[in-house]
Amino acid sequence: MSKILVCYKWVLDEQDIRVNAADASLDSSRAKYKISDYDKNAIEEAVLLQEGQGATVDAVTFGGDAVKQSLKDLLSRGPDKVFYIADPSADKADGYVTAGVIAAAARKTGPYDLIICGEGSADSYNQQVAPRLAANLGLPSITYVQSLKLEGGRVVATRKLGDCTEVVTVEGPAVVSVVPEINKPRIPSLKQVLAAAKKPAEEIKIADLGLSPKQLTAKTVSLTVKGFVMNRKNILFKEPAQADNVAKLVAALAKEGVC
Amino acid sequence: MPGILIFSENNAIALELVTAGLGLKATMNHSLCAVALSEPDAAALAAAGADKVFLLNGQDWPEGCAQPIAELAARELAAVILIGGTARGKDIAAKVACGLDAGLVTEAQTIEIAEDKLQTTRLKYGGLAVACEATGLPAVVTIAPRTFDKAVAGDGQGQVIALDAAAGDPRVKVSDLCPIERHGVDIASAARVVCVGRGLAKQEDLALAEDLAKALSAEIGCTRGIAEDYHWLPVERYIGISGQNIKSELYLSLGVSGQVQHVAGIRDAKVIVAVDTNEKAPIFAAADYGIVGDLYEVAPLITAALKK
Ligand SMILES: Cc1cc2nc3c(=O)[nH]c(=O)nc-3n(C[C@H](O)[C@H](O)[C@H](O)COP(=O)(O)OP(=O)(O)OC[C@H]3O[C@@H](n4cnc5c(N)ncnc54)[C@H](O)[C@@H]3O)c2cc1C
Repeated sequence: MSKILVCYKWVLDEQDIRVNAADASLDSSRAKYKISDYDKNAIEEAVLLQEGQGATVDAVTFGGDAVKQSLKDLLSRGPDKVFYIADPSADKADGYVTAGVIAAAARKTGPYDLIICGEGSADSYNQQVAPRLAANLGLPSITYVQSLKLEGGRVVATRKLGDCTEVVTVEGPAVVSVVPEINKPRIPSLKQVLAAAKKPAEEIKIADLGLSPKQLTAKTVSLTVKGFVMNRKNILFKEPAQADNVAKLVAALAKEGVC
Repeated sequence: MPGILIFSENNAIALELVTAGLGLKATMNHSLCAVALSEPDAAALAAAGADKVFLLNGQDWPEGCAQPIAELAARELAAVILIGGTARGKDIAAKVACGLDAGLVTEAQTIEIAEDKLQTTRLKYGGLAVACEATGLPAVVTIAPRTFDKAVAGDGQGQVIALDAAAGDPRVKVSDLCPIERHGVDIASAARVVCVGRGLAKQEDLALAEDLAKALSAEIGCTRGIAEDYHWLPVERYIGISGQNIKSELYLSLGVSGQVQHVAGIRDAKVIVAVDTNEKAPIFAAADYGIVGDLYEVAPLITAALKK
């Protein structure tokens, strides 16, 4: 039976992050976490393969202490087991560090016939962990996959590349990243949520991964993060009759020279 | 001499990277090298200002260029490697970065050298924020298409050097290359855009937006759900961080809530107009002009007023 690893990131829900108009700083004090949207597609794809042809699905995540809150949500989506690396250093990790940590974890918990990632994370969207992970593990990568099959030991994937599609066949194993249209992630059923409580979640200590300090030091350091402030006129036409609002709008557009 | 190396499998984008690279060259005082996949492309890059162009032969799959590019960058002591931010380019960039044990900045909007590091800005949180980051050298950077203007052909005398590519990975087979058919114009370069969101109740009601678009000489765009979930419009018409970026003089939305991932794609529009029933919809904060109301009432009124 095939063994699949799916990678996911536990991210702040950007819908709850506020931009302070005064200094453009971000207020995430009220933000909740979620499984990164793209990773939900990765998880769903792993579970579809599991249901379709029988496979065991492990999941792995690397994040700060908050990742512990993700385990139940993750397991209720179908994977058999989750490995988590919870370490405060994750806050400063870039794609280089993250891929290194996940590769080291996968070497410990694998080998895998297939490793699935989302195309990027919903927060940073760096889109580099999957191809870096492949390079670290010495495996071929297939990025931006819109349909995926496992045929024996072979991975057959159709990639979506902006202006074309192509089919890539790898004599397995391989690392793939999937695009959102590959599937529609299901909402876990009550039964799945209850079953999740009985599934194993295992912590892997970052110190046990055998990585050097250099491998745990980000190449890219964040200097500042500022909310994007839109400077727009924000004029709302609020006459009781819509015809009057429309007249004002058209007059304004004419003045702007755009109609 | 440590320099700048650029690559895109799409030569129009490679010429944009020449502009970015020449900007860096001015402060770094190093040579600008490029990698091209065909002789005409190599000649165009040299004419546009690349000091040296390496012509990579014998590689049909652009992704297969990652290893030779990484080796070349190491040999040429490239400090900054700029790669066109297409899907293929981002894949290649990650592998080049691994080969060089280097950092990779994805879709940088600005790049400069400061204190011996590469300083970049890029969007985060679906476009909600801009992050300024520093990456040690060597650094790999991808740059989205149209971030820089194309460098124009000048009297560049750059040298072209042929290079043999390494053999491809025997485990990988690529087949069935199939262009995606495009219908109608490129929304990214449309002068005016009428954008529909899920405030539209039925596909037939698109007619109402089309009437308005006609009166404005505008193209129809949409939010992701309209294209990806409802399939009412082709995917290349959806606007936002994961879709198209528009730079039109007018953007007018009908029933679009204005979540940040969508708004990230309309920021460069000159005038933004929103029509939505919900006064609290975030689209109004992003708009120059707004009407709170039912699009089924307001859109036909705008169409009629324009026709007068
Ligand atoms: C990682 C990620 C990436 C994404 N990328 C993109 C992207 O690139 N582009 C994109 O568009 N989205 C993207 N999204 C989705 C985005 O977050 C929003 O969900 C989406 O833009 C909302 O689309 P909408 O405005 O059409 O629908 P809704 O949010 O459902 O809004 C519909 C609006 O219509 C109004 N309305 C309803 N009836 C009427 C009426 N009769 N008249 C007038 N108004 C009416 C409502 O008040 C509401 O404001 C992304 C999401 C994620 C998580």
